[in-house]
Amino acid sequence: MRILVVDDDPLAAEMTSAILEDAGYPVVVAENAVAAMEKLAAEPEIRLVVSDMTMPLINGIELFRSLREQSVEIPFIILSGDEPDSLRAQEPACDDFLMKDYSLMATLVESVNKILSRGL
Amino acid sequence: MSLSLSDKIKQLRKAFLDKMPVTIADLQQLCDSLERDGYENSRVDTLCRGFHTLKGGAASFGLQEISSEAKQAELLADQLKDSDLSRWQEIRGAVLAPLIEHLKQLERLCLDYLQQEHAENDQAKANALEPGFDMEQSQAVEKASRNKIYLCDDDENQAEKLALQIANFGYDLTIFSDPSCLEIAIQQAMPDAILMDIAFPDGASTGTSVIADLVKNSGLNIPVVFLSARGDFDARLQAVQAGGAAYLEKPVKMNEMVEALDRLTKQEAEDPLRILIVDDDTEVAAYHSFILEQAGMITHHLTLPDSILQVLPEFSPDLILMDMYMPRCSGRELSCVIRQIGRFVSLPIIYLSSETDRDKQLSALQTVGAEGFLTKPVKPDELVSSVAIRAERMRVLRSLMVRDSLTGLFNHTFIAQFLTKTRAEAERTGDNFCVAMLDIDHFKSVNDTFGHPAGDQVLIALSRLLQQRLRSADLVGRYGGEEFALILRNVGLAEGMNIVDGLRRDFNKIRFQFMDKEVFCSFSAGIAQYPDFSSDALLMKAADQALYTAKNQGRNRIFPANPNAAAAIL
Repeated sequence: MRILVVDDDPLAAEMTSAILEDAGYPVVVAENAVAAMEKLAAEPEIRLVVSDMTMPLINGIELFRSLREQSVEIPFIILSGDEPDSLRAQEPACDDFLMKDYSLMATLVESVNKILSRGL
Repeated sequence: MSLSLSDKIKQLRKAFLDKMPVTIADLQQLCDSLERDGYENSRVDTLCRGFHTLKGGAASFGLQEISSEAKQAELLADQLKDSDLSRWQEIRGAVLAPLIEHLKQLERLCLDYLQQEHAENDQAKANALEPGFDMEQSQAVEKASRNKIYLCDDDENQAEKLALQIANFGYDLTIFSDPSCLEIAIQQAMPDAILMDIAFPDGASTGTSVIADLVKNSGLNIPVVFLSARGDFDARLQAVQAGGAAYLEKPVKMNEMVEALDRLTKQEAEDPLRILIVDDDTEVAAYHSFILEQAGMITHHLTLPDSILQVLPEFSPDLILMDMYMPRCSGRELSCVIRQIGRFVSLPIIYLSSETDRDKQLSALQTVGAEGFLTKPVKPDELVSSVAIRAERMRVLRSLMVRDSLTGLFNHTFIAQFLTKTRAEAERTGDNFCVAMLDIDHFKSVNDTFGHPAGDQVLIALSRLLQQRLRSADLVGRYGGEEFALILRNVGLAEGMNIVDGLRRDFNKIRFQFMDKEVFCSFSAGIAQYPDFSSDALLMKAADQALYTAKNQGRNRIFPANPNAAAAIL
């Protein structure tokens, strides 16, 4: 079981990974949407994606949509610097939207726990 | 051992802050090219994303202020997206200039945080190691540790005002309204000096007797400054008898107080004398150098005179001790070479020789104006005293020559010399440094309204502040009139801006009392960085032009010299 973290900013990626690893989840990192798809194809162990929203070329929502178009039904969490409500309205099918702020340490782990336990 | 989450986040946060100046510079460059080359889709996208990432990153590391500043910038930058190109001029004006302001603010915030981080680190280090850590390395802004001063005065209101003012000069003042509290505090932690009121509600000379007791019974051995409303001989005598090091009449003038504190708490040892020894005989030279170093001097030995032209400016000796007879050239010839360089005309030279013929000795002294003649073998104490006396006299003379009489700061000529030396050093080491020009705002109107003594007070206050707050490696000079020059070594433009801006803020807080009026002053400054500007003249001129811009933009601000303008300056 692994979690894929997608973020073009290496520091942010490391931050997200640190939080997840601290909660006991092994992490795989991809620095953009294309790399994310490759990682997903290569590592069937990945059970959840935590992606940044704002990335060059393909953003978080677009990544989510293209996965769903390819019938990849993996749970998907989007992190964003903005209030997530407007994003949620754009793509209600995405499992969760979280605001990137200092509370992420708590909110991310909580959301991941909830989503993963749902599948059990 | 693996790191805990909070340690890891701390590290990431540090990495984020460390990287931020680069990010800001990139964004600045994007703004510049949009300004210069007009609208370009991918640039606008990168710019918006840059601010967005900054906002998100800062928020996730709990850097709220940076995040919200970046958010405002992002909102602004978003307006550039899909802009109507026919209105580009207008949009550009409304967006790019404010964006640059936001970038500056972001830079300031980032530096503030970094500074805080360093301070915390140093604190942690200090706590862990105690006491072996070097303040020089920690932060350029604060000069070593602040001097701790205890003030004992029953008029708390007055005392607090004083404390606020004195803090601007780098003193850390603790107020006690009751002498017994002071006594307790002294037992716990000894301050660097005490400011003591004399009259208290329970007695007109409580202050002096408390101090006299402390000196007698607990061996109090730190400077005490007495404050009193009385200025008569008896009061002053009493204070001296109680062991007072200074006496200030109330209402206390801030300048006088700071001067007294500066004088009393300054404990930096005189720089050791620097002696250059030129002698082809290595063993003799080693012996002389050993004797002089035992006496606390620093020596440098030159076997061959060839490299003297490089060594002189680098080692900058206070005196040269020279063998009279050397294979390649005589001491006399070498002295002539040295004397033909303007800067070294007055550098003292002492000859060493086995020559005992008095006439020959005299003629050698006369030809080139050497300071003395020592006959080998020389007695150690004779060597030390002849060298020390001449080198020290030279130092005093030089310091009189290079300092401004009102402020005690270095003068124009010395600033120029120091700049040349600093630049040569930077060329060699590849370090940055900054030149800043400061000018007191509306100085003429202070002079015109309150008279020249008031103007002098402002000049003295600023020069004290500058001296207090900068490191000893930096140079503070009075360039002329109300203009000051700073040379900040090993400091880049951003840090330099930060340092000078801190000085600006503190200077602006100083409250002057002229003709029963409270007066605040400010200064404007321009700052230029080496190697953006590569020559002395360019650096000075660029800083001066930036100062001019700062004045034009409304004063009481700092303006950096634009490196791209280097060509346009001369």
